[in-house]
Amino acid sequence: MDKKEINEILKVALRHGADFAELFWEHKETTAIGCEENRIERILSGIDEGAGIRVIYDSSSSYAYTNDVTTKRLLEVAELAGKAAQKRERFPESISFYTPKAALEFPVKIPPQDVKIEAKTKKVLAANNAARQVDKRIRQVSVGYQDVRQNVTIANSEGVFVEDLRTRTRLSVNAVATENSIVQTGYNSAGGVMGFEFFDENDPETIGENAAKRAVLMLSAQNAPTGRMPVVMASLAGGTMIHEACGHGLEADLVQKKLSVYANKIGEQVASQLVTVIDDGLIPGKYGSFRYDDEGCPAQKTTLIEKGILKEYMYDYQTATHENRKSTGNGRRESYHSRPLPRMRNTYIVPGTMNADGIVKEVKDGLLVMAMGGGQVNTTTGDYVFDVAEGYIIKDGEVQYPVRGATLTGNGPETLQLVEMIGSDFGYAIGVCGKAGQGVPVADAQPTIAVKELIVGGRGDSQKRDTKIRRL
Amino acid sequence: MHDNYERIAEQVLGRVQQRVRGQAEVFISDSQEMKVDVAEKKVENMLVAQERGLGLRVIAGQRLGYAFTSDLSNFALERVVEQAIYNAKESEPDSGWELPLPSGGYPVMKLYDDETFAVSVDEKIELARNIEESARAFDARVRITERSVYQEAKYRVSIFNSLGLNGSFLGSYCGGYAVVVGQENGDSQTGFGMQYDLKYKELNAQKIGREAAEKAVRMLGAQKIASAHLPVVLDPYTVTSFFSVLQTAFSAEAVMKGKSFFEGQEQKQVANPQVTIIDDGAMPYKLGSMPFDGEGMTTRQTVLIKDGWLQGFLHSNYTAKKFGVSSTGNGVRGSFKSTPEVGITNFYISEGTSTKEQIIKEITKGLYITDVMGMHTANPVSGDFSLGVSGLLIENGELTRPVKGIAVAGNLKELLMDIDAVGNQVVFYVTKGAPVLRIKALSISGD
Repeated sequence: MDKKEINEILKVALRHGADFAELFWEHKETTAIGCEENRIERILSGIDEGAGIRVIYDSSSSYAYTNDVTTKRLLEVAELAGKAAQKRERFPESISFYTPKAALEFPVKIPPQDVKIEAKTKKVLAANNAARQVDKRIRQVSVGYQDVRQNVTIANSEGVFVEDLRTRTRLSVNAVATENSIVQTGYNSAGGVMGFEFFDENDPETIGENAAKRAVLMLSAQNAPTGRMPVVMASLAGGTMIHEACGHGLEADLVQKKLSVYANKIGEQVASQLVTVIDDGLIPGKYGSFRYDDEGCPAQKTTLIEKGILKEYMYDYQTATHENRKSTGNGRRESYHSRPLPRMRNTYIVPGTMNADGIVKEVKDGLLVMAMGGGQVNTTTGDYVFDVAEGYIIKDGEVQYPVRGATLTGNGPETLQLVEMIGSDFGYAIGVCGKAGQGVPVADAQPTIAVKELIVGGRGDSQKRDTKIRRL
Repeated sequence: MHDNYERIAEQVLGRVQQRVRGQAEVFISDSQEMKVDVAEKKVENMLVAQERGLGLRVIAGQRLGYAFTSDLSNFALERVVEQAIYNAKESEPDSGWELPLPSGGYPVMKLYDDETFAVSVDEKIELARNIEESARAFDARVRITERSVYQEAKYRVSIFNSLGLNGSFLGSYCGGYAVVVGQENGDSQTGFGMQYDLKYKELNAQKIGREAAEKAVRMLGAQKIASAHLPVVLDPYTVTSFFSVLQTAFSAEAVMKGKSFFEGQEQKQVANPQVTIIDDGAMPYKLGSMPFDGEGMTTRQTVLIKDGWLQGFLHSNYTAKKFGVSSTGNGVRGSFKSTPEVGITNFYISEGTSTKEQIIKEITKGLYITDVMGMHTANPVSGDFSLGVSGLLIENGELTRPVKGIAVAGNLKELLMDIDAVGNQVVFYVTKGAPVLRIKALSISGD
């Protein structure tokens, strides 16, 4: 599609009177490989191409998309979107396009389409074999490989014109271990904004082994305890906690609608002084990185909380315009099916100075989290949960035995105030973050941290009762 | 919606036959959607969408390959054929791969509502406004509308395979929901109400709004409770949220791969005798109904658990062949982008005999759970779950005060056995239905 056509489409979108019109065109090619039952079961490849047109008038927006991307159809769609947001008459001039400069480039060394399927299935089988060799109690291993090449063109009535190619690769392994009637699972995954060179840094065997080892370990784990207790989260566990406890609550759409406990708190102490939280789209290769967001705004590094003080929210175009300010480059969408929303990128807690091993030593009775699973938050109340995929009991500063089946529950602002120790180490995890039905790739990270207390939702005895029984 | 899909399918199937010996299947979907979000009486967002696409399954030498495209140009179709064949070559053979034979006609079902599309857009915006108004009018403490939504879609699904199978149907749905926030003394709580239906005239804006408002205000002032082991009542919505985990256990594919906790339990008691669980893709007027599944097998009713006893599993054509049974019509397809996989259609727990009031009345101290968080972290293989929950405390047979910020943990397999009362009214949320259930006891983590 050339600039002249896009210009026409945007003019049609604006002609019923609007403040802003935008075209998002996408051509996405994916390859997915599934291995289960010790063999390559499914190979899927696909093309999804389509375009969405967004029109904003005042605080109303309309969005229309189609995957029939002929200019004729797009003009019809532009008319549809424009009419839906109509108010006052406006006859726009031609738009002179410019391309903002990206802050960083993410060169792809080996484009996945240049790699034969055999080379990809080889990596998948390597992960499968490594997982199966960990222990004879491994009953099933599922390996999933996916590469995505997404070409986008983003153009809007303010003149932004951006063309970009995003390449992402990921590998995930889910292992099932069984012993007698006990069944446990272990999961491990890695992914990045990279081509096939992803495997230079991410060994499929290690990912497979990690998943299998976790499944086997959980076979011998005891039920996690019940009740309130100190929690240490290892850097290896990744950052699901920070993503849920404060990340979502700092997205400007939720803040502006007063659907966040962090609304109207800029400049206030919302966390312990030890806590600095950053959302950064510019970390080379990381799963939540990109050159431009899905509105054509160059990605940035945004400090959200600095030494406990709330500094900034995450903005997209619409929320930024509402406050007469600039976007922070957090306008993201899953595909041409959706309008953009403020979303996280790579979100992390900045490391401190303590030795990570020293942190566990300081805890008398508590839980050590070595791997986090998924999580969820209600931003209005700040209440959140996250899953402990691998946890251990800490007694008198020593790591004792593994526990399973625990979700940790807390309230975002309360938890951040209760962060007592921050280590000097640092670790990442990746995921797909869901909001309003849209999934976007993100990463999160943290050093080893200790939280004074959280509610551990296990099936075991409550700690209080436990102590009582011992005294008897 | 085009009607030349049959021609496109024939072309694609023909191209596959020219290149390889084997079977091929073309799945085409074409859909249109409209959605409008209202807040403070204003239209905040409006969505108008149109999407179509084609998925091609090729089975050659007992190897499966799949490719899809949203671009139906000649060039793209040629590429899809090449990719599906290439992908099949790189997969490993499996004797289970076989496409269904023509069934000799599908039942005629009422799946489309003309009225939905005869009503003007303005009237639908008004419906979304009415939902909001009803929520606001219910209680003055309802102060924020996160969103009040009207949504509708129509879709055509067509399937053709090289064995001569050929089916097509037109379906639609409409619905509305609201998420509102109640506020009092610095506390904010959210509430949610929804209704989806085949028929536009069944939509009740008043009721949706009221439900959202009622849920938000009754949670105001919620507090934690101390850790305990207590009887628990799950409201129908909470029960249906467990289905995302429970459905795996009924999948024959999961059974085959050692990922179901019902493996080897057929014709054994797996739930309390009051429990009957059914999947029914042929249920009249329900949104999970269709004449055939994602690979063209006729849908039907499958009783999974009868009076507590496990009757069988859900099958696609692939798992049916592996088990030596016939498909239950559960080869479900998310979209043209994916292969048919074992999944649920309309899935529900049948009604029992107790009223909700009786169920609560018999509890001295317990918890009525209305909302759960983190269901996606539950383990479908082991059945273990640990969830953040909120709800209402039950004291001496009465709902007394709101509770939040606590967790419950358990195992789904044990939970099914521990159900000791089943409500007499099934409530459907889109395609999932359940009555109120009482669980003997669950471990609750709190202060």
